Amino acid sequence: MDIPAFKAKLDAARYIYDDSLVTTLLVALRLGRPLLIEGAAGVGKTEIAKVMASALDRDLVRLQCYEGLDESKALYEWNYQKQLLSIQVQMNRQDPDALTKSLFSDDYLLPRPLLQSIRSEEPVVLLIDEIDKSDEEFEAFLLELLSEMQVTIPEVGVVRAKTVPFVVLTSNRTRPLSEALRRRCAYLYIQYPSVEKEVSIIRAKLPNVNEHLAVQAAQAVGRLRESDAILKKPSIAETLDWVSALEALGVSDLTPESVRQTLGFALKSSEDLEAGEAVLAPSEAACSHSHGHAHEHCGRCAGTAGQA
Amino acid sequence: MTVYLEKLAEFSALLRREGLAVGLQETADACEILSCLDLGDRETVRAALQAVYAKSREEQAAFQRAFDGFFVSVERREALRRRHAAEAEELARRRAEAEQELQVNGQPMDLREDLQEVYIRMGDRSREQLRQLLEKTRGNLERSPRLYGNFIRSVFMRFLLEQQMVMEDAAAGCEESDPDLALLYRDISHFKDTDIPKAAALIAAISRQLDAELSRQRQGAAHSGKLDFKRTIRKGLETGGSFYRLSYRRKRRRKRRLVLLCDVSGSMLQFSEFALRFIKSMSEVSESSQTYLFSEEIHLVDPFVLQNMDSFREYVRSSGLYGRGTDLGTALDQLCRGRPAALGPSVTLLILSDTKTIDLPRAGRMLLEARQRAGETLWLNPIPERKWPYVRSIQTMQMLCRMVPCSTLDELARACRKMLK
Repeated sequence: MDIPAFKAKLDAARYIYDDSLVTTLLVALRLGRPLLIEGAAGVGKTEIAKVMASALDRDLVRLQCYEGLDESKALYEWNYQKQLLSIQVQMNRQDPDALTKSLFSDDYLLPRPLLQSIRSEEPVVLLIDEIDKSDEEFEAFLLELLSEMQVTIPEVGVVRAKTVPFVVLTSNRTRPLSEALRRRCAYLYIQYPSVEKEVSIIRAKLPNVNEHLAVQAAQAVGRLRESDAILKKPSIAETLDWVSALEALGVSDLTPESVRQTLGFALKSSEDLEAGEAVLAPSEAACSHSHGHAHEHCGRCAGTAGQA
Repeated sequence: MTVYLEKLAEFSALLRREGLAVGLQETADACEILSCLDLGDRETVRAALQAVYAKSREEQAAFQRAFDGFFVSVERREALRRRHAAEAEELARRRAEAEQELQVNGQPMDLREDLQEVYIRMGDRSREQLRQLLEKTRGNLERSPRLYGNFIRSVFMRFLLEQQMVMEDAAAGCEESDPDLALLYRDISHFKDTDIPKAAALIAAISRQLDAELSRQRQGAAHSGKLDFKRTIRKGLETGGSFYRLSYRRKRRRKRRLVLLCDVSGSMLQFSEFALRFIKSMSEVSESSQTYLFSEEIHLVDPFVLQNMDSFREYVRSSGLYGRGTDLGTALDQLCRGRPAALGPSVTLLILSDTKTIDLPRAGRMLLEARQRAGETLWLNPIPERKWPYVRSIQTMQMLCRMVPCSTLDELARACRKMLK
């Protein structure tokens, strides 16, 4: 697949991209390397895996990482209850070795996301989400899968991939990942989108939203993200929620009043809300355009205050 | 194709010199991907090679620098050629000028080529100062020409060293590509007021990383090897009474105490603020910690003060320690004798200081005594490591205890990691 064809697929999935992102995705796809995506929470890391699944017309298999995640949750588990039942049923069987062997066959294996992804007949997109939340042991365990596309199950032996999945690993950088894992992946770092890109995202996801409101909201979110006073920066999904809320209230121009009523969709703590309202409050200095109404009711100022 | 391969191998070597861990696999990948890309589009090539070679945000910054230096665009190559020609012309002009200006008894001064270069690259003001100095000491030429020659060479050497030190300052190239990241590698003493909020945010992020790493380290060591019968039997009930999975008792955490001795003399205050931000977050990890400030004597810090850096600054000023000379010997004496319970075998003594103290021999003796009382002693030094060989007090203290550089936030984070392992 060349770049124009790949872009066409992303367009069809209504994904807003820039050229370097497309090149990186294509490089990972061509080389068959896992793609490690890092960036702040809410910049759209997980979305890339979903879009890739849609663009490549593959199923998405997702593994959500957390502290304490181990092989039994990620790779496979033996169906112990079924094994016990089988032993009870076949108690009088003459050949105990055959019974033992049959107990560790596919019939009793419960495949988890990693095994599912490599045993699938059709290639899938495997999303290993928030890998930084898992333990270092689990990271080491993944190395065999990521480099050789195979896993070892002690009772069965080596299971090689029937089809090679496109693997996407995401990390919020809450801890540094090991060099060994990084070396096996193509790497992508995502930052919050520019105002123009965010407006395009709003347009693509919420096609009915007023253009003026979309620009104002994107500018306001940009300022919230730039402010050091905001601890949890609003994500792209939160921007979309906020714009949807504004639209639902029939707001077509961002005013201090509408900001106060709906900012909770973008900011999720009382401290951030307080700081956010201050950041977005119109100031005399910022309002340089001449129009005949008071500043506290000036929608244009709410969209541009603080940029000076 | 062979030409591309050679160029790529050279580029890989350049990236290794920039500190990226580039192996054969990366070069092979780069080669494979370039063979199916449009090489005419510089930005596509950049993005493709970056995905292959750079494996972290920090590596991306180094990659960008290396790429711009290695794959020069046609416009930039032309601009560079013009610049080099202009520079060569300017250099020749200044060299002729220097020969005119640096004369002894009508003859050109006997100077090594590199020292001549130093003179040529000096600003007008520095050159004027140097000429005045030469004029003032010209009388010595008649008395002892050899001594005069040595003196002149030493003056030039000093300028040369100063220039080298300026060039060695960290993050010179990083600044352009990523200002936030550059903050991590910049000397803390060079921070401006406007950098402080960003630096504080960076510290918070690093502290969170440290905290996450530490919680994982603790979890890794949770297994004591002793069987937990109660939990094993209870879990066994889920699987028909057979002990399908064994449960083990958790390892007891070893209690660790940190005693921090922090220099707050005038030259150290800014550094101490940043260091204490780290320490505050780490004190939550340690079972118990005590912080002492010192200049000529020591003060035990109320932990409440560390919660807020403004109140900390106010506290330091009101304590009477700020701006006074540093006397490490007295401070350690007061710690060892005045507060004997503070140090012990389970204590890690952490000294934050630039080692500049009065009465160095006494400070050394007291450091030895403190080291014997504490389980471990570690010195965090805010002076950049490359300058250590020129500072006598650092050489002395380095012989007496383990010293770790921490002139930048990155080094400070690494020092904290080392200390907690």
